[in-house]
Amino acid sequence: MPSTFFGRIAYLIELYGPSFLRGAWYSLVIAIVGTFIGCVIGLIVGIIKTIPVSKKDSTAKRVFLAVVKAILSAYVEIFRGTPMMAQAMLIYYGAAALFNFNMSMWFAAFFIVSINTGAYMAETVRGGIISIDPGQTEGAKAIGMTHYQTMISVIMPQALRNIMPQIGNNLIINIKDTCVLSTIGVVELFYATKSVAGALYTYFEAFSIAMVIYFVMTFACSRLLRLLENKMDGPDNYDLATTDTLTHTSGMYPFKKREAENE
Amino acid sequence: MSEAIIQVNHLSKVFGKNTVLKDIDFEVHPQDVTSIIGPSGSGKSTLLRCINLLEEPTGGAILYHGTDITDRKVDVPGYRSKVGMVFQNFNLFNNHTVLGNCMVGQIKVLKKSREEARKKAMFYLEKVGMAEYINAKPRQISGGQKQRVAIARALAMEPEVLLFDEPTSALDPQMVGEVLEVMRQLVKEGLTMIIVTHEMAFAKDVSRRVIFMRDGVIQEEGTPQQIFDHPTNEMTKDFLSRFRQA
Repeated sequence: MPSTFFGRIAYLIELYGPSFLRGAWYSLVIAIVGTFIGCVIGLIVGIIKTIPVSKKDSTAKRVFLAVVKAILSAYVEIFRGTPMMAQAMLIYYGAAALFNFNMSMWFAAFFIVSINTGAYMAETVRGGIISIDPGQTEGAKAIGMTHYQTMISVIMPQALRNIMPQIGNNLIINIKDTCVLSTIGVVELFYATKSVAGALYTYFEAFSIAMVIYFVMTFACSRLLRLLENKMDGPDNYDLATTDTLTHTSGMYPFKKREAENE
Repeated sequence: MSEAIIQVNHLSKVFGKNTVLKDIDFEVHPQDVTSIIGPSGSGKSTLLRCINLLEEPTGGAILYHGTDITDRKVDVPGYRSKVGMVFQNFNLFNNHTVLGNCMVGQIKVLKKSREEARKKAMFYLEKVGMAEYINAKPRQISGGQKQRVAIARALAMEPEVLLFDEPTSALDPQMVGEVLEVMRQLVKEGLTMIIVTHEMAFAKDVSRRVIFMRDGVIQEEGTPQQIFDHPTNEMTKDFLSRFRQA
């Protein structure tokens, strides 16, 4: 065992590099898949929770909607209001004890992260939808769009753009929070690090490595999502569609470029 | 006289304890241009929004070709696609380009093909002088341009009646001019329009009929000459005298 800190780190990486990488890979996959499914759940729940009820609707429809909304609210409140670690234990062991259903570890991991993210995303989506100017809905209604068409073509694309930062937040939180799944035996980065640390009693070094890996993963994800946001915003300029051959059709030249040309 | 497209019978609207519209009666015939004038808070916009069912009337009926559209069984989106609306704040779809704004309704509501929708959209965008800007997003064009696109969007649905809710109130004088120019053109082409406006000169010029509203009640209605030159109601006289002074 080397005597310096960095020496020991190099030694650990050489010896257990693949364990760390596999752990990191599991964390990342669980986080990405969980966030994605969670977003889908959140979208569906958020959309259902914002369906307007008017007095003109039939009683059956109103009662049905009220019941569905109440169930969804309960889902959101319960999963937001209890720790994911406890949920993991409860669901993983509870499914086996109560329903004699032995989940695979992977299924449990995806299930728990998704359903948790879904609960948070539901509120985020609801916030995204109500943040859109009511004028957008009125504009769509005025040309005869149904609630569903308005949502798909007008409101959701704008709401999704607005909640992108929050989706990024959730992804980053999930990358870090996959470590609670170590309690049910998923060998993600935290579990892997703990094993490595315990094997040679090198807690400080092993967790230094884990910290760097976590940070690299979260930072890369946050930058990638920022790029995606910029892409969603589209170009700042637009092309004029004209048949006049003397007009420049490609918007404006950036000011700096022109300056450079004059020199 | 031809059959009325829209017939408003004893319409009333109450917000909580506030009565905004009281016993409104009027008719709109094909190719009519009806202007609704009156002070702010008189219920003009609410009346227009009731006609498009953006507000639910509390009482009375609105007949569209004889069918009461406040009835529960009426296909509201289908009705709205035949009665267009232009808003004070444009309400263009921010996530679509100028062209997209004029196409999405045709594709989704009228189930037209993309090419058909594009052709129609281009036709109306050309009419309002916005054909060059089809690739722009709403945030990239001026208020007057936005309103012209909004008019093209409404026209692309080829509605029977077009409702204008203070279409120039959010614009500076130059932009007001360009929007009114487009509207004048539509009047010439015989489009049926109901216009809520504060542009008195314009209302006098283009309307076939003028309705003066105050406190949720139609105080006086008649031809532009009757209302603007020989008003009989004291409130109308008072309201119009303020405009003459200004």
